Amino acid sequence: MSTEAPRLRIAADSETVERDLTRLVLTLVELIRQLVERQCVRRMEQGDLSDEQIEALGVSLMRLDEAMSDLRDRFGLAPEDLNLDLGPLGTLL
Amino acid sequence: MTGDAGTYVYAVARSAVECPDGVGSVRTVAGAGLVAYVSTVPLAEFGEEPLRRSLEDLDWLSVTARAHHRVVETVAAATPTAPVRLVTVYADDQQVRDLLERRRDDFLDVLSHVTGRREWGVKVYAGHSSEPSATARGGGDARKPEGGDAHKPGNGDARKPGTAYLERRRAGLRGREQVRRQLLARADHMHAALSALSVASCRHRAQDPHLSGRTEMMVLNGAYLVDEGRDEEFAAAAGGLGGDGVEVRLTGPWAPYSFTVMEAR
Repeated sequence: MSTEAPRLRIAADSETVERDLTRLVLTLVELIRQLVERQCVRRMEQGDLSDEQIEALGVSLMRLDEAMSDLRDRFGLAPEDLNLDLGPLGTLL
Repeated sequence: MTGDAGTYVYAVARSAVECPDGVGSVRTVAGAGLVAYVSTVPLAEFGEEPLRRSLEDLDWLSVTARAHHRVVETVAAATPTAPVRLVTVYADDQQVRDLLERRRDDFLDVLSHVTGRREWGVKVYAGHSSEPSATARGGGDARKPEGGDAHKPGNGDARKPGTAYLERRRAGLRGREQVRRQLLARADHMHAALSALSVASCRHRAQDPHLSGRTEMMVLNGAYLVDEGRDEEFAAAAGGLGGDGVEVRLTGPWAPYSFTVMEAR
């Protein structure tokens, strides 16, 4: 019935798209990193990790954290930009 | 009505009152002792297919929602009103009349339920000062250990940066979870207290900070149907629930949106 052409709704200049895509990818990476981190904390609390394992995992996670903040800086993103609302679980960060 | 126009329905009430324009000029369709407030709209804009696109257009949506709201509020200020869901469009007036006939009892139930009552909204925000972990993390401390050393984890070094990091994260996460639980318990308590003063109540999903334009976490997004005589008592009770890093925002009175929306079909 409508003969109107579909309206353009997104101002898709390449810079915005790149930034948004970067943000999406980093958010997903951060989500996974946080999940692993929380899992480690839980297993550490349960006591089923050796001291060496804890230290190794801690160092790896810490480096990932550092790498993430470097990436964030490079793309001009604040930590909150990578936050996710997980509904009843609260927010990611 | 021909094939290129439809009938947009705003609200149903028992009597007809003067009304400002909504998405078009507003008229009434009467049937079964009820009155529906409607506008004729072009299907080129409000047909099923165009709507699917329009609803993703936030500017269009906000203009339409405001127009809808304006009509509903005007009617509700004058007579008990059952608002109809945003962008409810029927093929023609006859279909609206059919709806009034078919759902007459439901409409009358709803209308008598809201007569002499107004809806109030209570939104409760928790400031994020109580959430230290989110900002402390990734800041100075967590990144202290300078690159070189940390390369050899668990090499018997007295310094255990990885373990220390995880410990910090554990404390942060635990504190955060505790704060969250306390806030949720407090929100439940507030909702119960406010519900006791109202005829009906419901909790909407907390709004995303992006939508509310606030950075604090919303812990309660409640709607309360309150007898007109108890407005002040309700407002005072709501005001008294704040403090302690928690901010209470009372909005209203509204048309009883949360207590009348029926499935149109």
